Amino acid sequence: MLLLFVVHCMDTSNPAVFVNAEFLKEHVGRRVRTVVQVIQSDGDKVIGKSTDEKELVVKGYPPNPLSTFVEVIGIADTTQSIQAETWTNFGDTLDVNSYDKVCRLANGDHKHLFI
Amino acid sequence: MTKMVSPDAISTILANPSPDSSSDLPEIIVQVVDLKPTGNRYMFSANDGKLKIKGILQSSLSSEVISGSIQNLGLIRVIDYTLNDIPTKNEKYLIVTKCEAVSPALKAEYKVEVKNEETDIGLKRKHEEIGIVLKPKQEIQTKSAAQIVHEQSGNMAPSARMAMTRRIQPLVSLNPYQGIWTIKVRVTSKGNMRTYKNARGEGCVFNVELTDEDGTQIQATMFNEAARKFFDKFELGKVYYISKGTLRVANKQFKTVQNDYEMTLNEISQIEEAINEAAFIPETKFSFVPIDELGPYVNGRELVDVIGVVQSVSPTMSIRRKSNNETVPKRDVTIADETKKTVVVSLWNDLATNVGQELLDMADKSPVVAIKSLKVGDFQGVSLSALSKSNIVVNPDLPEAKKLRSWYDSEGKEASLASIGSGMSPSTKSGARSMYSDRVTLLHIISNPSLGEEKPVFFSIKAYISFIKPDQTMWYRACKTCNKKVTDAFGSGYWCEGCQKNDAESSLRYIMVLKVSDASGEAWLSTFNDQAEIILGCSADELDRLKSEEGETAYQMKLKEATWVPHLFRVSVAPQEYNNEKRQRITARAVAPVDYAAESKYLLEEMSKMNISM
Repeated sequence: MLLLFVVHCMDTSNPAVFVNAEFLKEHVGRRVRTVVQVIQSDGDKVIGKSTDEKELVVKGYPPNPLSTFVEVIGIADTTQSIQAETWTNFGDTLDVNSYDKVCRLANGDHKHLFI
Repeated sequence: MTKMVSPDAISTILANPSPDSSSDLPEIIVQVVDLKPTGNRYMFSANDGKLKIKGILQSSLSSEVISGSIQNLGLIRVIDYTLNDIPTKNEKYLIVTKCEAVSPALKAEYKVEVKNEETDIGLKRKHEEIGIVLKPKQEIQTKSAAQIVHEQSGNMAPSARMAMTRRIQPLVSLNPYQGIWTIKVRVTSKGNMRTYKNARGEGCVFNVELTDEDGTQIQATMFNEAARKFFDKFELGKVYYISKGTLRVANKQFKTVQNDYEMTLNEISQIEEAINEAAFIPETKFSFVPIDELGPYVNGRELVDVIGVVQSVSPTMSIRRKSNNETVPKRDVTIADETKKTVVVSLWNDLATNVGQELLDMADKSPVVAIKSLKVGDFQGVSLSALSKSNIVVNPDLPEAKKLRSWYDSEGKEASLASIGSGMSPSTKSGARSMYSDRVTLLHIISNPSLGEEKPVFFSIKAYISFIKPDQTMWYRACKTCNKKVTDAFGSGYWCEGCQKNDAESSLRYIMVLKVSDASGEAWLSTFNDQAEIILGCSADELDRLKSEEGETAYQMKLKEATWVPHLFRVSVAPQEYNNEKRQRITARAVAPVDYAAESKYLLEEMSKMNISM
């Protein structure tokens, strides 16, 4: 389960905030994590669709092969892009709705549970 | 005539802090103790044998002390005085402005002879609490005040005295580890006296339901002597002070109120009726179940509370009772809530004619109605029925009512609402339904041993296999044709009673019991062949082979691999007799892997529901 996965892999020494395109704007300069649907992949960056249907740019070197959905953890360098440090293939199907809701919970009333 | 210390002189002084010279006061003669000079005046303590207060003699009286008229341990008649407060302490201070000596020093400090040992202790404590302002409030810390109260209220009714000398606690704070407590409760239900016979002999028992001011309820049971003693004393609707009962964890099989504990009262328990307590109305405490969560309560013993917007009210119907041919008035009220589901509540007798009519008259205004203690039946899937103890509040002043009102006014009015019953067909067996309908926790099942009493109830659960006992009878030998148990045939092979034939071969089929756990608790689950095969990942025959060929360790390893794996189960629950004991039997009817996407959706929905009710 999504949340279960997070608990296992969270490196609390360097926490990354769960974001979608909307919340990315609030965390510029900080370490963030998000899942995007790959729209276009160039050598040094990926154009992706966020879980709240906006366009995001992920800079860095994606893995090869790259699945439809990929999770990236990195520093948000602008309100619309992330400098990726870690890439994880999330497969070809994902319930984006649930992920998006988790982002909202993680940034809303339950912020204290995550960071 | 020798003068004596006036009885309760100090009390008299305390009661009259500023007498004017014309006031009609009794004679006040006190003993002077602890006489000490301070500046040009003398301070002392005035003693009447029971109480003492600190005081000072006005400077004009100092000469009497010097001359020896007023002596320490002597008696003085206080003619004029003022009683002041000591600002920092909760004490009074006596300023004697006029007095006359009436007796030289007595042999010792005067003490009133009392039969009770307790009062001596009370007296000793008095030394530290001289001149306490007497407040007849109920929260008085009482060891020493017992004495004061005894004097002040010696002739008052026992219950009032009990109220003053005992601290009343809320029912919610009672627990088995607390020795001394007193509660103030109303009897909201009284059972009949029942007789029983068991291995230890015969006896009689009855119980009552008690409710306190906060609305907390607890069941109290009395046996034999105590039952006979208190049966007539407890009257429905009256308020009592109760103490010296014992508490223990409630027997879930028999409880009808929401309390982890239940009380037993015996012959030494104290029960005192509280008179003039018409104003003591316990607040009705509700714990509402949303309409779409009523499923698990169907045909159970636990009563539920609901709140909803009235959609329709039927006219009064007359139902003929089969038992005595009496006709009973009945009215059906349909209510809806934010889960967009409706349910029918059947009201009977007075509720049908009185509240029912009231609701019919205001039905066009769509009032919010909250109902406590309803029985959940399976008519048309899910139905609610009122009992004599059910309590109905129309348009209650509760936050849930406000939320319902605003939901209804904004979307509920226009929304298409479905009957909760239409989604349920109690006769459906497993599998056909989604693993997400009637999702409950293990605790919900195990805490209700009477589930499925009339016919088995079905639920969905998500749980982890926590333990598979290696040394249990895992399987039985079955007929390859009909799956019934076979017995060893005369000679070789196996005999099937069902098929009435012999077969050289048989197959092993699982009858495995395993322990499952979820966040709320754990339980034993019985599984049959199909489910066990999925869980273990191999057939019973294969496992048997593994055990005999590769040994015990390999066999246990296989069981371990199945442990701590989560599954979705569809289970049936019913009580079963086992060695004369009633045990709950939970049987897996279907098993499915956890669908994480669906599970996430379900959890997110549950979380958002929690937010609404918060």
